[in-house]
Amino acid sequence: MDIKNLLTESKARFNHNSAKAYLAEKFKSKLILAEQGGLWKADAETISLLNSFTSANLVLIDTFNSPVKVDRQQLLEKLQQTYDTTMEQWYTEWKEIENKR
Amino acid sequence: MKRGAILFAFNTEKFNYYEMAEYAAKRINHFLKLPVTIVTDEDSYPEDTEYVWDKVIKITPDKNNTRVWGTWINKGRWQAFEFTPYDETLLLDVDYIVNSSNLLKIFDFYDDFCCHNTIDFLMQPNAEQEKISHYGYNSLWATVVAFKKTNKVKNIFNCMKMVQNNYEFYMNLHSFNTGIYRNDYALTIALSIINGHLTDNRDFIPWNLLHIGSNTQIYKSNKDELDSEFTVTFDNWQRGKIRKEYITINDLDFHVMDKELYVGIIENEK
Repeated sequence: MDIKNLLTESKARFNHNSAKAYLAEKFKSKLILAEQGGLWKADAETISLLNSFTSANLVLIDTFNSPVKVDRQQLLEKLQQTYDTTMEQWYTEWKEIENKR
Repeated sequence: MKRGAILFAFNTEKFNYYEMAEYAAKRINHFLKLPVTIVTDEDSYPEDTEYVWDKVIKITPDKNNTRVWGTWINKGRWQAFEFTPYDETLLLDVDYIVNSSNLLKIFDFYDDFCCHNTIDFLMQPNAEQEKISHYGYNSLWATVVAFKKTNKVKNIFNCMKMVQNNYEFYMNLHSFNTGIYRNDYALTIALSIINGHLTDNRDFIPWNLLHIGSNTQIYKSNKDELDSEFTVTFDNWQRGKIRKEYITINDLDFHVMDKELYVGIIENEK
């Protein structure tokens, strides 16, 4: 049976909460990246921390709980880039789901 | 460094695991651009297949494992270490559907071994993590394992072999009684032994393994074999009635626990 017919005939409802959880699951993994010998999450906290320093190098605790000495500006740029791209995609897919209301 | 994936597939009286492996392999080729090796047996491997494997390894499997629905040929997974022709290998279950390039990230960050230690269920978020027993370890998952050919990894797989060969002892020791051999539990125990009963976060993939669980069905949204969109439906029981709910997903890998569902996906594309 065609999937559209199946959904219609079973009177299936779109579940926004599950869709939201699925997007979070998908995009959280896309925010993770390996760089300069550490594993990072391109989240607001890490980006803000990198932004709040001015030194060229900085020791950060990565997601494996290991201290890693990083080139601050280089890591900041990489995380910002990943954050931007991923969050834009997340937002676009979220808006599509919102429109199903 | 040569990278590739390895799959184990042995047909049973109920399920054609070879067909599942071929389906999985095409998606690995497409989304991860990796070659795939299959470990199978003479009875399962169809000579008329058009799919070109990177390598076909035929062995005589241990068929001594029975589930409610019949024989489950899952023993011998520890042999992945000796069979893999790759320097860096993804060892995947054939019912794990690769639907994105996400797994390639593992090659960027792992030391020499990596598997999932956390799970979630599509349509049933915030699932409890499985323990091997009430007061035992949280279960690790052998569904997706990435490894290099190092001494540590050799020890992990050798230890899995030891656990498999002495499974009853480990069932008693850790107080679980699944009745059947599970690679997930063998891996959990083996990795714990190798790490001196300590946990090393670097051995774990930093995102959840996503299961398609009970009361959940999954269908391809269209008939294109390599398309990444799937529709997931869920039977939500409320006051004795089923309310069917659905979402559509794309660009996300998942593990289909129910083999009938997997067969349904493959059949639907024919």
